[in-house]
Amino acid sequence: MSGVEAVRQEALTDDLGSRRIEVHDLNAWFGSLQALGDVAVVAEPQSVTSIIGPSGCGKSTLIRCINRMHEEVLGARVSGKVLFDGQDIYAPDVDPVEVRRRIGMVFQRANPFPTMSVLDNAVAGLKMVGRLSRGELRRRSEQALRQAGLWDEVKDRLDEPGGKLSGGQQQRLCIARALAVEPEVLLMDEPASALDPASTLRIEELIQDLKTQFTVVLVTHNMQQAARVADWTLFMLYGQVVEFGPTRKIFTSPDDKRTEDYITGRFG
Amino acid sequence: MLETRKRFHDELAALQAEVMAEGQLAERALGRSIEALVRKDKDLADRVIAEDDEVDDKYMDVERRVIDLLAMQTPVAGDLRLVSAIMHINMHLERVGDMAVNISKIAKATRELPTDPTVLSHVEEMADIARSMLLTSVDAFARRDLEAALALPRMDDPIDHLNRGMYREVVGLARDPRLLEWGVQMNMVARQLERVGDNAVDIGEQVAFLLTGEFREFTDASHPPSP
Repeated sequence: MSGVEAVRQEALTDDLGSRRIEVHDLNAWFGSLQALGDVAVVAEPQSVTSIIGPSGCGKSTLIRCINRMHEEVLGARVSGKVLFDGQDIYAPDVDPVEVRRRIGMVFQRANPFPTMSVLDNAVAGLKMVGRLSRGELRRRSEQALRQAGLWDEVKDRLDEPGGKLSGGQQQRLCIARALAVEPEVLLMDEPASALDPASTLRIEELIQDLKTQFTVVLVTHNMQQAARVADWTLFMLYGQVVEFGPTRKIFTSPDDKRTEDYITGRFG
Repeated sequence: MLETRKRFHDELAALQAEVMAEGQLAERALGRSIEALVRKDKDLADRVIAEDDEVDDKYMDVERRVIDLLAMQTPVAGDLRLVSAIMHINMHLERVGDMAVNISKIAKATRELPTDPTVLSHVEEMADIARSMLLTSVDAFARRDLEAALALPRMDDPIDHLNRGMYREVVGLARDPRLLEWGVQMNMVARQLERVGDNAVDIGEQVAFLLTGEFREFTDASHPPSP
């Protein structure tokens, strides 16, 4: 049984339905600049929700609000609700660090610790969360590397520095690092935009595997990537939701003319 | 509005124009094939057969260019539906061209046989409706006219009715073996015209999909025939 399948089995006994994210009336600002206006969207468990839209439309801000990263920017503000498992992650008694553990994030540029070994990179986040034995760390590292579809390529070079891996492998190493802390949701901000086509397809396949256990939210500039991997697609413009629906519907017969114009290239 | 895919959209417009030209050629061929049949005009029948190469060339050209667009431009949304509509309509029109050729061959084969005025008038009536349907379907495509597309199944009803009556009419010609031989051929012509009507309805379905994004058959083989 592969690592992915092992976790899938485990997930069957878990209540995946509780991994739903609901965003209501979300507004976000950078100082006096409003980046999001009354955004409402739902990310279903065991599915990929992609967010598309032109640069500056608020895609990244939206996912950074979903795991409370937005507030880390000086002068940033948020209002509205983000419910995870029915609970508002912005409620006063919620610990943002715990939110970020349960709702993990992968960024555009692969950013492994370049001199740290592959094995240690995969559990770098986990080490910060708590104390684990060397054996347990090794086990969790292997599990995460398997889940990220990287194990077979690196199992004989676990002690090499992470910076020595190829770009695509480094990105999967970062995905492993995000998975090692056992999140329930994976936010991916342009995870393949810095990769070559083969590595990109590799990541897209991996996303398809991961969605069986995680709620995946994917920000992408690559509309064909959204069409290939997402079950649901959200189109944003000027910080607002234009249209949200099944990907098949968005890419064959969207309801809103602005969506049609954007995805058919009649709009810059 | 900033147009970021101008070449692609220009090519889509050019393909649509080519399909419409193909529709005109197919309709003209159909009209001439019936004229050749009624007037027993061998030269006209030969001309229809020879000119079908033009329809076939257009069909192949459109097909190739559509495949290129799919491979290189990955059309989506309205563009995708238009590419799909062009691909299907192209195929339907090429078939109508082939039906005109079939009727022309029958025209040549039946030149020496006697004719029955009632059967012939019914064939002509079917042909008139079929041509009108074909023009309506291509026009509905050009003008993005959903109402016209939805009207096609109703236009098709009299053709189906005449086609079903044709068999009985031909059986009625059995008193004269040569007249019967002609009648059997006319039954085949009626069948070709009925197929032209069906192709026009199918084109209407493509127009409806293009405009609404919903797939549905206006009629199907299991649909109960209207009286």
